[in-house]
Order: sequence, then C-alpha cells, then structure tokens
Amino acid sequence: MLSTGAHSDSNIEVHRYYSGTVLIVAFLSLVLQAFLHKYGRWAELLDLPLLVTIYFGVSRRNPVTGMFLGAAIGLLQDAVGHAYPIGMYGIAKTCVGYVASSVGARIDTEHPVSRFGLVFLLFHFHQALLAIIQRALLNHSAPFFTLQLLLDSLVSAALAVILFALLDRLRRSS
Amino acid sequence: MPDIISRHRPLALLAGLILLQVLLLAFQVKREHDVRLVRYWAVQLLTPGERAGTWSFSKVSGIWSGYVGLRDTRNENQRLKTEVEQLRMRNRELESRAAEGQRLAVLMNFREAHPEAPMIAAQVIGASADPTSHILFINRGDRDRIRRNLPVISPDGVIGKIVEVFPSSAQVLLINDKESGVGALFAGTRTHGVVKGSADSNPHMEYIQNDEKVQPGQSILTSGEDRIFPKDIPIGTVESAAPGNPFQVIRVRPAARLDRLEEVLVLMSQQQLAPNKPEEASSAFSSPQNRQMRASQAAPTSAAGQKTPNRKPAVIVDAIKAKPPASGAGAPQTEPRDNPPATAPNSPAPQQ
Repeated sequence: MLSTGAHSDSNIEVHRYYSGTVLIVAFLSLVLQAFLHKYGRWAELLDLPLLVTIYFGVSRRNPVTGMFLGAAIGLLQDAVGHAYPIGMYGIAKTCVGYVASSVGARIDTEHPVSRFGLVFLLFHFHQALLAIIQRALLNHSAPFFTLQLLLDSLVSAALAVILFALLDRLRRSS
Repeated sequence: MPDIISRHRPLALLAGLILLQVLLLAFQVKREHDVRLVRYWAVQLLTPGERAGTWSFSKVSGIWSGYVGLRDTRNENQRLKTEVEQLRMRNRELESRAAEGQRLAVLMNFREAHPEAPMIAAQVIGASADPTSHILFINRGDRDRIRRNLPVISPDGVIGKIVEVFPSSAQVLLINDKESGVGALFAGTRTHGVVKGSADSNPHMEYIQNDEKVQPGQSILTSGEDRIFPKDIPIGTVESAAPGNPFQVIRVRPAARLDRLEEVLVLMSQQQLAPNKPEEASSAFSSPQNRQMRASQAAPTSAAGQKTPNRKPAVIVDAIKAKPPASGAGAPQTEPRDNPPATAPNSPAPQQ
C-alpha cells in the first residue's frame, strides 16, 4: 500500500500517512490542476502533481514507492491532457519521484529552506527531462531554461513550502 | 546478472519503468496511434472530481456575489438613486430652458419681422389672485415707459391691454376678462363688432345681427376702432354661433393661449403691423406652425428685405429678464426714447 511507510536504510525518520491519503492527495492535485486551468493562465505557473510527487517522495524516502507514485501521477497527467502522447510526464515524474525519494533518504527535508531549494532544483530537473524527451522522442524543440521557467520554479518552490506544511498535518503521529 | 539486479533493485525498476513508458511513447509516435482507452479511463476517473470542484466553486462564488458581494450594493443603490434624481431635475431644467428658448425665438422673429412697430418684450411674472378676473402681471413698468392702455400681444394674436402701471411691473387685462372689450371684425365679411369677456373662459363677439352669416372657424381680427389695438391683429376664431336676442351669441376661441402665457409683447404704439407677405393681407400674423418653422430658420427677413442675423434666444432672455437701471437709462425696446407712444396713455377705449 502506498499509504504504509517503509523504513529507509538511514536513521532519518520515515513518515506514515493514514490509509488512502497519498491516493486522495494525488487525485486532488490532478483534479485541482485541471480545474485551475479554467480560471486563467496564472494556473500554468503551478504544477501541483509535481509538488505532490516531490512531497511524498521525500517524506516516504523509498525510491521504489516514489518512482511508482511519480509514474502514476505523470501518466494520469498525460492522459487527461491531449497535447502530448502518454508517457512524457510519466517518464519525467518517475525520475523525479525516484530522485526525490533518494534525496529525502539522505538529507533533512523538513526545513522550509531546504524544501524551497529542493523543489526549485527538482522543478528544473523535471523541466530538463521534459525537454530531453520532447527533443529526443517527439522531435519538438523545447527549451531547457527560460526566464518564465525560472519564475515558475520560484513560484512553485514558494508554494511548495506552504503546501508541504499543510500536507505535514496529514501525517500519522508515531 | 540477477545479483546485480537484486543489489540495485530500485535502479533496475526505474530503468524498467522508464523503458516501458518510452516504448509506450514510441508506439504512439511510430504508429500515430493514440491510446484512447487510457485517456478514456483517466478522464472518467478525474471528471467527477472536476465536476464537483466546478459545482463547489460556482456555489461559493454564488454565495459571494449574492450575499457577501452585496454588502455595498445598498449604499451604491442609494447613491445611484440620488444621482438619478439629480439628473432628472437637471433634465427638467434643461427642457424648461429649451422650451423657453423656443418661445423667445418666436417672439424675437416676430419682433424682427415688424420693425415698423415699436414693441417691448416682457415676461409674465404673475396672475390675479381672483379666479373670476383674468389679469396678468408683467415685469415691465413705468421705468420701461409702459403706459395704460398699451396693447399686449403675442405672435399668436391679441392678449389684452395694460390697465395698471407700477414702477417695475404692470397689470394686463386679458381679452377674456369680463371687463375687457376689443373692437373687432370678421376677416372675411369685415362685419364689425366687439369681442368682450364673459363669465366663462372664452370671450364673446357681440353686436352681430342675427341675419349675419357666421360660421365656426371664421377669423376675427382687431378693427382698430377702440384706438388701443392696431388694426388686423388676430383675436381668435368663431367657436360657435347661435341666434340671440337681439344679437347673435358668438363664442370666440382666442388665437393666443391665454392660459399658458410666459412671454408677451407690449406694443408701444397703435401703429398697424405690416403683413409679412403680400398674400397675408388679412393679417400681419402667420399661423403658429409657420411661426415655429420660422423660428427654426436661420435668419428672418427685415422690412428692408435684408437678412438679419438670428439672435440667440439667450439674448432675448436677458433682454426680458434684465431690469432697466432707471427711468433715464435705455430700456431694451425698439421704440426711440424721444418718441412717445402714439396712443395717449389715458385715452379711454370706446368699448371698455
């Protein structure tokens, strides 16, 4: 079960969540992402499924769980959008989930500053993967870095600090 | 090999997962074949959530706009109502000014069409408190050289005569007052009589023999015999005629709207008004419709046949409303100051 925690090899605490929490939050992030797009282009600044992938990756600290969660969220995100073939966001978020879980198992990700930095970096990592996939597999010219992406990453990182603090409340007390 | 995989199980899983998705991508790109089933189930999965989100959002926004957002609506409504009232008042004021301007334009055109007759424009400032008498007060008086028995007319016809003069106002006896009498004649037959006021609001034409043929609608003009009104000014038309003893009972409909007077002209002499056109020999006055049309035209023709610029009604308003400074100062009238009125101020009218 995704909601049951797994112990990492290190001494860093692994957080557990109530049953179904991960699925519900992941589902809500997809719904909200699709829903917010109706209300203006400002919603494009946010990638809530990415933030949820990162959060549960670093919290669970299990690369396998993180990559599967990322793959599921990414594939659903691909499926509900029609811009790209299914698999593009899936691959990117699979990698992000894996990296987030691996990083979460090694460093402290509870501090807001470390969360901000981690989301900022993973956002660009995710974007770089998307650009590579588009260039290599779809023959599209996608940028690796733009000022808009920088702004998006800063906004997402700032929002992640708030969102992660809210999601922390869903943890099961040990 | 299996050892390596089991040792790096997460990495192997990652590679496998990515490979699967790359193959999925390749399948879609290569065959140009969309995996509609996946999309279908994904949409089926997410759509209820989106629908619920939209419903909740519309409810919340409905509550906001229907209740919370209406907080200031009451004040705004009050402010708008006040603004509407102010605009209505302003509109009424402007309409009143426009109507006044039209009336004054008619007066001005009439005055300019008859430069031979000295006349002065006056504003009606009041009426008699006695409901049985038909008397008006005008804002011209002794300071404007208004004298008793001067005729008062409008572009429509005869109104009455001055009966009392005060320093800055004067009293006008209307032709429908029972004390009033005007020398009159029928425009067609030139039969003479007297138009006198009566107990009702309309005057009567008297001293017309029963054998005289009188038709409703027949025009009645001043005869000039009363030595007050110049000859051939419209008094009105026959409204009804019936045999009487010893004379016919003829009700007259006044040409001027005596109940709606706001501006009048006081003739400063009994000099006859020249007709506007040769074909209008019977009258120096034209129909109200024609006068309205003439008022809207650019420039009236003077007696000399030259076009005179049409003065703005506002100038006439000023001319009427402005009080002359003193008896020695110039009053806005067409008659020269050294030229006294042709009619003796106190000369009695034969039929009054």
